[in-house]
Amino acid sequence: MKKSVYLYLLSIGAILVFNSCAKDYGDLNDATVQSFISNASASELNNLVSGTESGLRTNLSLYLDDIGIIGREMYHFSNSEPRYVTDLLGGGGATLSNSNFYITNPWASRYTVVKNCNILIQAATNSTQITAAQRSGYIGFAQTIKAYQLLMNLNLSDSNGIRINVNDPNNLGPIVTNVTALAAISSLLDSGLSSFNNADIVFTLAGFGNFSNAQGLAQFNRALAARLDVYQQNWSAALTDLGQSFFSLTGDFNLGVFDVFGTGLGDQLNTFFIPQNQTGEIRVAHPSFAEDIEPGDDRINKATLRIAVASLDGLSSDRDVWVYTSSTAPVPIIRNEELILLYAEANIQNNDLSDGVNAINIIRTGHNLAAYSGAMTQSALITEMLNQKRYSLYCEGHRWLDLRRYNLLSSLPIDRPGDQVWTEFPLPVSEQQ
Amino acid sequence: MRMLFLAVLFLSCIAILPEHVFSQTKTITGKVTDNKGGPIVGASITVNQSALGTATDADGKFRLTVPPGAGLIISSAGYKSKTIKVGDLLEFMDVKLDEDVAHLDEVIVTGLATSVKRRNLANAVATISSNELDGVAPAQTFDAALEGKIPGAYINANDGAPGGGISVKLRGVTSVYGNTQPLYVVDGVFVDNTATSAGLNVVTNALANGLPTSNAAGGTQDNPSSRIADIRPEDIESIEILKGASAAAIYGSRAAAGVIIITTKKGKEGRTKISVSQDLGEIRVRKLLGVRQFNAERAASLSSDSATGVLLSQEFLAAQAKGQIYDYEKEVFGNTGFARNTVLSVSGGNSKTGFYFSAAQKDEGGIVKNTGYRNSSLRLNVDHHITDNIKIGITTNYINSSADRGLTGNDNTGVSLGIALSSTPSFAQLHDSAGIYPNNPFAASNPLQTIALMTNNESVNRFITGLSFDATLQKSIKSTTKLIGRGGIDFYDLETNAIFPSILQFEAINKGTTVQGFTSNLNTNYILSLVNTLTPTDKFSMTTSAGLTQETGDYNNVLDVATQVISGQTNINQAGALNGTQLRTKFQNQGIFAQEEANLNDVLMLTGGVRFDRSSNNGEVAKYYVYPKGGISLNLTRWDLIKGDVFDNLKLRAAYGQANNVPAYGSKFTEFSISNIAGNPGLLVNPQEGQPDIKPERQTEFETGVDFSVLKGRLGFELTYYQKDIFDFLMQSNPPSSSGFSSAWANAGNLRNRGVELGMNAGVVETRTVVWNTTVSFWLNRSLVTELTIPSVPQGSFGYVLGSFQIQQGQSATQILGLNGAGGVSKLGDAEPTFQMSTYNEVTFFNKLSLRFLIHWKQGGQNINLTNLENDFGGTSADYDQVTNKLGVPNGVYRIMQVGTDAHEFVQTASYLRLREIGLYYSFTNLPVDYIKAVRIGLSLNNYVTITKYKSYDPEVSNFGSGFSSGVDVDPYPASKRADFHITFDF
Repeated sequence: MKKSVYLYLLSIGAILVFNSCAKDYGDLNDATVQSFISNASASELNNLVSGTESGLRTNLSLYLDDIGIIGREMYHFSNSEPRYVTDLLGGGGATLSNSNFYITNPWASRYTVVKNCNILIQAATNSTQITAAQRSGYIGFAQTIKAYQLLMNLNLSDSNGIRINVNDPNNLGPIVTNVTALAAISSLLDSGLSSFNNADIVFTLAGFGNFSNAQGLAQFNRALAARLDVYQQNWSAALTDLGQSFFSLTGDFNLGVFDVFGTGLGDQLNTFFIPQNQTGEIRVAHPSFAEDIEPGDDRINKATLRIAVASLDGLSSDRDVWVYTSSTAPVPIIRNEELILLYAEANIQNNDLSDGVNAINIIRTGHNLAAYSGAMTQSALITEMLNQKRYSLYCEGHRWLDLRRYNLLSSLPIDRPGDQVWTEFPLPVSEQQ
Repeated sequence: MRMLFLAVLFLSCIAILPEHVFSQTKTITGKVTDNKGGPIVGASITVNQSALGTATDADGKFRLTVPPGAGLIISSAGYKSKTIKVGDLLEFMDVKLDEDVAHLDEVIVTGLATSVKRRNLANAVATISSNELDGVAPAQTFDAALEGKIPGAYINANDGAPGGGISVKLRGVTSVYGNTQPLYVVDGVFVDNTATSAGLNVVTNALANGLPTSNAAGGTQDNPSSRIADIRPEDIESIEILKGASAAAIYGSRAAAGVIIITTKKGKEGRTKISVSQDLGEIRVRKLLGVRQFNAERAASLSSDSATGVLLSQEFLAAQAKGQIYDYEKEVFGNTGFARNTVLSVSGGNSKTGFYFSAAQKDEGGIVKNTGYRNSSLRLNVDHHITDNIKIGITTNYINSSADRGLTGNDNTGVSLGIALSSTPSFAQLHDSAGIYPNNPFAASNPLQTIALMTNNESVNRFITGLSFDATLQKSIKSTTKLIGRGGIDFYDLETNAIFPSILQFEAINKGTTVQGFTSNLNTNYILSLVNTLTPTDKFSMTTSAGLTQETGDYNNVLDVATQVISGQTNINQAGALNGTQLRTKFQNQGIFAQEEANLNDVLMLTGGVRFDRSSNNGEVAKYYVYPKGGISLNLTRWDLIKGDVFDNLKLRAAYGQANNVPAYGSKFTEFSISNIAGNPGLLVNPQEGQPDIKPERQTEFETGVDFSVLKGRLGFELTYYQKDIFDFLMQSNPPSSSGFSSAWANAGNLRNRGVELGMNAGVVETRTVVWNTTVSFWLNRSLVTELTIPSVPQGSFGYVLGSFQIQQGQSATQILGLNGAGGVSKLGDAEPTFQMSTYNEVTFFNKLSLRFLIHWKQGGQNINLTNLENDFGGTSADYDQVTNKLGVPNGVYRIMQVGTDAHEFVQTASYLRLREIGLYYSFTNLPVDYIKAVRIGLSLNNYVTITKYKSYDPEVSNFGSGFSSGVDVDPYPASKRADFHITFDF
C-alpha cells in the first residue's frame, strides 16, 4: 500500500514538472511583421525601404515578357515552358488563363511591394524613434512606389481593374476599373509629392542615382505622374508635371531611375538577360523589329543577328533581344527618353505640333536618323511618335500599352493562323472569389 | 530538472525491488519442429511470467534453465504458440508447432508499452515479416521495400533516382498541406523522415524565381530522398502498421497519418550465430519511351523558318550518311548499374544478455552513368537483465549513405536530362572528343555533358540510438506493476552537393554553380509509462497504463549557392558570388496518456484510452488537446457461442480513436524575407501570411470488421471497413494576392475517407513435399471534402491547361480538374486508385527450395502526364508522326493543339499490374563441414514485369515529391528493375 502511495506521488510530481515547461520557440528564421509595426527604429525602417526597392525587381522580367510578347516586340522560346508561345500569342486556340504564371506571378509580386509599402507607412507612423520630417520621407517614398506598383498591375489588367485599398488583408477594398484606378493612382502620387515637400531622407537607395534626396524623389514622383497624365489624356497636366520632373530635352536619354541588379548576398540578377546565340531558353526579336526599322537607326543594336535562326512551334527569328546585355544590366523604371516622348505626345495632342516635332527630332537625331520629314498632321505625328517610342523603349514594357491606348492593337502582325493579340489579362483567379 | 526527476525515479525503482531466491532450477533441452518435422529456427522459448528465455538454433534445438514452478511458452512468427505447464515439463522436450496461417498468435503492440495477440485485436493491423520485407527480391532502400505490402496504403515512388524517395499514404489522404506521411518508430525511437532539398532550383528554376529550396504548393520539385530510406531492411525483424487514429491514437501528436513500428533483430540465448550474405545484381531501366524516327522532311519541319529547315534537313542527311544517328534516350537512361550488398550479422547471448550485431555495405549503380547509391551500416542491439526484475535494452545504429541522383524532373531552363532530351533529335551530334563536349544546338544543355560533369549528391551520417528499460516494481500472484521507459535520439548530418562546372553548356551565364547544403537534425523522444496487469482470476485480466511522452526536433539547414566558380574548384569560396540561406525549425510535443485494456477470457477485449497533447507548433503552445480512443473485440468461437467445425476462429471488432497532426513550424508567423539590393539589407514581406491562432488538425477514425478462419485455421479472412474524418485540415488558402499574400495557413475544412480492406490467408497446399501459403489483399479508399471554408482554387500542379488538383467541397480530395475542350473546366480524373490488390505467395518444396513472389495490381487513379507533351513540343516523341487521332493530323501536332483548350490528353489513367518481387531460394543444411550450419542461395527479380497502358516511363511518379499532389509526371528519373543473385552462409 505504501508503494502505491509512493507511486501516486511520483506520478503527480512527474506531471507537474512536465506541465511547467511548455516551449514557445518563436520565429528562429526571420523578422516578423508584428515586431516592426510596434515601434521601429530608423535602421529597421531603412530595411523596409531597401526591401521595397529590391522587391520592385521580382518577376520584372516576366512583366517585360508579357508586354513584349503580346506587343509583338519579341518571342520567348523555352523548351520547358510552352505557354510563352501558346497562351500569350493565342497559338493553337489557347487563351490567357487566370491561373497561369504570366499573370499570377507578376501581379502577386507587385502587391507584395504594395504590402511592404503599407507596412512601411504603418511602421513609420507608429515609430517614436524618428523625426516628423524623416517620417514624411518614408511615407512619401512608400506612397510613390505604391502608386508605381499599382500602375504596373493596371497595365496588365486594364479594364478588368485593380484593388487600390489593400491595407487590411481580411477586408480588401473593391476592384476599381481603369478610369477610377488611374485617378486613384494619380492622387496617391500627389500625396507622395506633398510628403516629399518637407521631408528629410535618411535612407539609402540603390537605383535612384542623383534622385535619392527629397528633391530628386519629388522629380521622380512627377515623372511617373506625367506618364499617368498621358494615360489619362490630361495633356496639359502632363506638361506641368514634366516641368517638375527631371525631364530635359537636352539631357541624357538615360538619365532616370532604374532597377539595379547585383550578385551580392540576397540580391537579384536581371533574369531577362540571356547571352547571345543561346539555344533552348532564349529571347529573340519579333521579325518585324528589323523589317520595320529605318535604315541607319542605331537602335537596330537592341536586337543582334544570331549565328543560327531560332525557331519554335511555327515561329522563328534571326535576332536576339540585346537590350539588357549582362545579368546585372539595369532596367529603367522611368528615364528621360520616355519623358521626351511623353512631352512630344502631349504637345502633339495639344496641337502644338512644332514642339512635338522638335522633341521627336531630338529622339531621331539622337539615334543617327535624319530629322522628321513626314506630314505635319496630328495623326501622322502620333504615328511617328509611336514608332519612335517603339524603338526607343524596345522591351522596356511600353509598346503593347501604347497601341492599346490608341486602339491600334489590330495593326500588330499575326504570325500564325489563329494567333490573337490580347487586349488585357484576366484578373488572377484568387481575385475573382 | 527533468533529468534529476528521471534519476530519482530510476533509483526509487531499484530501491523497491523485491528480493528473489532461486532454488532447484531445471535444465531442459529440446527441439522445436513444424508439423512436417522440419526444424523451426529461431523459435523463442520463454519461461512463463518471466523475462528468461532462449531461442532455437539452426537445427531447431534449444537448452534452457528453468526456475522451479514455472512453465514454458514456445512461439515463433508464423506458428501458433504453445504453453507447456509445469507438470508437463520433461528433461527433453520435443515440441511441434502448428502453422498459424491467419497469424492469430502474432503479438501486436497496441499501447506505448502494452501489446495483445492478434486474436484479441480490435483493429486491422498490418504486419510485414522480415521474410516478406527483404526475403523475396530486396529493393534498394527500406521505403521501396514496403511497396505492395501494406493493405490500405497508397505507396508511390516519386521517381527512380538512386536512394529512394517514396510517398506512403495510409487509408487515403489525411491532410492537404499538413504532414501526409506516417510516423516511423524504430525500436521506440521516433525517426525523422524529412526530405531536404539540395537547392537545385538554382539551376532548374522549376519554380520560377523561387528560392533555392522553394516548395511549390505541396512539395519541392528537387526530388530529394526521404530520410527513412537510410534504415537497413536486413536488420528488421518485423514491421507493424497502425493505419489510422483508432489504432495509433496513443502515439499522439504525430500519429494522424498512421504509425509504422519497426522492430529490429535482437539476440537470444544460445549458441552465437554468425551469418554472412552477399548479393550481386544489376539494375536496368524498366522502360524507354523510344525516339522519333527522323527523315529529311521531318528534320526540316523542326523549324518553321524555311531556310533553317533546309539546313536541318542537310544536317540530317549528313549525319545519316556518316551513320551518326543516335538514340540519345538509350544513351542517357540505358546504363546498366552493378549492385553489390554484403551483410555480416552476429547474434547470441546468455541467460542475462543478448546481442545482435550487424555490419553491412551496399553499393549500387544507376541507369544513368555517374548516379548510384551507397549505404554502410553498423548496428549493435544489446538486451541485458540487470536483475530478474530490471531489463534494459540498447539499440544503436550508425549509417553512412550516399546517393548520386542525377538531374531530372521539371525545370524551366532546359537543363534536366529529360527536358534536354525532349528537344534533341537523333541527328544531333552530342558526343565528346577527348572529353570536350559540343554545345547542343537543339537545347539549353547537352545531356551527355551534363551526366559526365555534374554532381548531385546527398550524403548522410546518421546515428540512431534507443534505450529501453522495464522494471518490475511490484509482483504478486494477481498483480504486476512495471515501469517502462523507452526513448532515444535520431541524429543526422546531411550534406547535399550540387556541382555544375563552368564548362557546362548551361553555365554560360552563371559560369559555374556550386550549391552546398549542410543540414543537421536531432530528434529526441521518450515515453515513461507505468503498467499494471491485474489478473483476479485466470479468466479475467486488466492492463492499466499511464504515462508521459515527449518529442523534440531541431532541424538546421544551411544552403550556400556559389556562382562564377573558378574552373576545377568546388568550394564555395572559390567563386565570384556567394549567396546563402538558413532554415531552422524546432518543436516540442508533449503528451499525457492513460489506457485501460480488459480481457475477459480471451472472449471479450475492451480498450479505452485518452491522450492530452500540446505542441510548440500550435498557436496556443500551453493548451492541451484531448484525444480519446476505444476498442472492442468479441471472439465468438472462444465464447463457445458458435460450435461445430466450420469456424476455427471468429471475431467481431470495432475501434474508434482520435489523433492530431500539428501545424508546420512557423505557420504562426507573418515574416519578412531578406531581399537586399546593392549591399543595402532589405526586408520584404513574405507572401505567406501567418495564422497566430493555428490549431492542430484532428483526425477521428472508426473502424469495424470481422476476422474468421476456417478449415482448422488454414483459411483466414480479415474484413475491415473504416471511416476517417479529418477536422480543421491544414491548408494554405490562396487569399486574393492583392492582399500582399499569396498563401495563408488556415484550418480550412473537413475531409472524410472511407474504405474497405479485405485480406485472405490460405495454406493452399500442405503436404510433406510442397507447402504453399498465400496472402491476398484487396483495398480501396474514397475521399470526400465535406466542408471547405476557404475559396477553392487550383493547386499543386500547372493549372487547368495541363490538369490540376483542386480541393472542392462535395468532391474527392484528390480530384483532377482541367479544361474540358468545350470551353469550360471539369473533372478529368482522380489520383485515388479505384482499388488495389496484392498477393504474396511462398511455395516451399521439400523444405529446401522456396519460391516467393509478390504481385501488385493498382486499378485506376489518374496521373498528370506531361513527359510526352514535353517531347511533342521538342518534336521528338516516338509516335509524333503517327496519325491515330480524330483530326487526322500527326499525333504530336494533335497533342500540342490540345494545350489551352483540352487537358484530357494529359490526365491519364495510371493502372498497373506489377510482378513486384519474385525470388527462388535453396537451402543446404547437411553440409560436409560442421562449422557451416547452412548455406542459402537465391535468385531474385525486383519490379521486372509491369503491365500498363500508361504512356510514360512508369505509372509511379511524383514531380512534387511525397506531398499532397502526387502523380505529376514531368521527365522523371526513369524507374528501374533489378536482378540479384544471393548467397548466405550461416555459421
